[in-house]
Amino acid sequence: MIFNRSVRPLAGAVLGLALSTGAMAAEVKTIAVLTPEQGTDFGWNQQGIEGAEAAAEATGKEIIVAQGLGYGNVRPTLRELAEDGADLIIAHASGYTTEAIEVAKEMNVHVAVGATSEPPLVGMYELAGEKGSFLAGVLAARMTKTGTIGIVVSSESPNWNAQSAGFAQGVKSVAPETTLRYAIIGPAAYADVAGARRVTESVIASGADVIFGQGNGSSFGMIQAVETLKTPGGDKVWFIDVIGDKSSIDKGHLLSSVLWDMGPVFTQMVKDIEADTFGTASYALNLEDGSQRLLKTDHIPEDVWAELEDVKAKIISGEIEVEMVIEPAATRAMMSETIASAE
Amino acid sequence: MSGLLTETFLAALLSGAVVAAVPLILAGLGEQMSERAGVLNIGLEGMILGGAYAGFAAAVGGWGIWGGFAAGILAGMALAMIMVVFCVRLGINQIIVGIAITLGVTGVTALLHNVYFARTYPRLPAPEKWAIPGLSQIPLIGPGLFDHHLMTYAALLAPFVLMWLYKGSFLGLNLSAAGEKPEALDAAGIDVTRTRTTGALFAGAMAGLGGAYLSEIGSGIFVPAMSHGSGFIAIVLAMLARHRPVWVMGGALLFGLCLSAATALQVGGVEIPTDFIQMLPFAMVMAVLIAFGRKARLPAALGTPYRRGQR
Repeated sequence: MIFNRSVRPLAGAVLGLALSTGAMAAEVKTIAVLTPEQGTDFGWNQQGIEGAEAAAEATGKEIIVAQGLGYGNVRPTLRELAEDGADLIIAHASGYTTEAIEVAKEMNVHVAVGATSEPPLVGMYELAGEKGSFLAGVLAARMTKTGTIGIVVSSESPNWNAQSAGFAQGVKSVAPETTLRYAIIGPAAYADVAGARRVTESVIASGADVIFGQGNGSSFGMIQAVETLKTPGGDKVWFIDVIGDKSSIDKGHLLSSVLWDMGPVFTQMVKDIEADTFGTASYALNLEDGSQRLLKTDHIPEDVWAELEDVKAKIISGEIEVEMVIEPAATRAMMSETIASAE
Repeated sequence: MSGLLTETFLAALLSGAVVAAVPLILAGLGEQMSERAGVLNIGLEGMILGGAYAGFAAAVGGWGIWGGFAAGILAGMALAMIMVVFCVRLGINQIIVGIAITLGVTGVTALLHNVYFARTYPRLPAPEKWAIPGLSQIPLIGPGLFDHHLMTYAALLAPFVLMWLYKGSFLGLNLSAAGEKPEALDAAGIDVTRTRTTGALFAGAMAGLGGAYLSEIGSGIFVPAMSHGSGFIAIVLAMLARHRPVWVMGGALLFGLCLSAATALQVGGVEIPTDFIQMLPFAMVMAVLIAFGRKARLPAALGTPYRRGQR
């Protein structure tokens, strides 16, 4: 017996302190990223994986990718990644937050989550392109012929809420008379491609000729609706996507996309872990460094693109302020108010 | 909200409700027959997903929509054979095997999608519809209810065919006996295993067809996990409707209508919690079926393996 009873608590406290500070000032050798779906969705999962890979390459680290994990319990995977030597685990789904924080404390490993920050182990990243969505709203307002624009989302996640609100603000900034239609496919309808098509068809039938769609896998159902339907007046329907670039599979309806480049965000996390500042500030996409930007396609007229560049400059300079709304109730209230004012 | 109430919008809502209901009708009817024969098919979700993948792959691969339906049926039956071998023949726990089928198919179809479709995301053209003369011209409801793909009408007729089968054929009686009192069926000289196999395979075929409808007509594309719980909803519908095929259809249509009503409320800007709106379809279906179907009961030998000579 090395410690007697009186010394044991003190030794335990010292050991605990040593363990709890072990995560700080760490050298990052390996980054791991977990995604709920395969990284081939031209969206959330693919951009998350590509962002982590870009960060690993930029900082010279190893990368472990765990994809297609679903939306259930990922604690075993998190523990396994920590045991495999991951120094930073990016839990790339809002549903992973609670489990990731638990495992961060249990395994003394850094995790990046989407909802909260608890330095030194837990860092929060807010992946919302609300400013890019504002630009998308301006674009939609300039391109609509029917004067009705639809927003279709696969859930009420903070990211989608922020972007829906940013988009609505953009529309109203240049065309306050525009009618907005807002529909949620389901509580977590990220793969509900049939539901997405059904809801989008209803929104198009209500007169919308531009659809701002946020959905992961279900985005393809929205695209199907856009490609196979016209408005009641016979107008072509445009689609504005988010996160990824679907140009390579476009059939002539992809107007733009609010692109997310997560590489700079994850790179900064690695630097902050090594500088003992991880989690002290949240990480976000921004227009300034291009980590959120609007995709330019051939369907956007030059004069409209020039206007968008001008609006972008004003957002960056602070002349135009985009309100960040992430709460579901606040987002719904904003949409209802917008719909009511137009009617 | 009033500005929304155009014929086009109402037609889209009704049409959407019917299309959303069809996979549930098909899978629910299959489950009902399986349960009637004493086999609880928890793997229905996996069979829908398998049918969705096979149907879409066949349709994209040049077999056409109907070839896709055939592929969906075959895929569903192939998966149902797992139930037959492990549960009907070997007497292994039906719930465990069903869960294994769903988990396995979810993984396999995601993998196949990743290999074959994930870079190109092929999409099918809009399905060809057949407007029923006269009925499809009824103002407001006609375009939404009577202008659909032929398979939609077939699905709506299926409950009546099964109603006749259950009440007017020996096969129907045998299926009921296999689920209620298999030893009596055996004593009458009818092969219980074969009867239960028929029920289980029919469930697989209908779930596979429902899945193919989901990917070919409902969405025109396949993405991993796209069944999105349809199989479990169909199981609930089959259980609550008990022995009545038409009630499965009624429940599924009510579910679809509630989905469309939820969309209409959202699009109209009605500011009530979305969780409440989205709970509506589930709550309505359960309330109606429980209220009107509470006297019905499940087969006595449901989920129980049958071995000759054992009590």
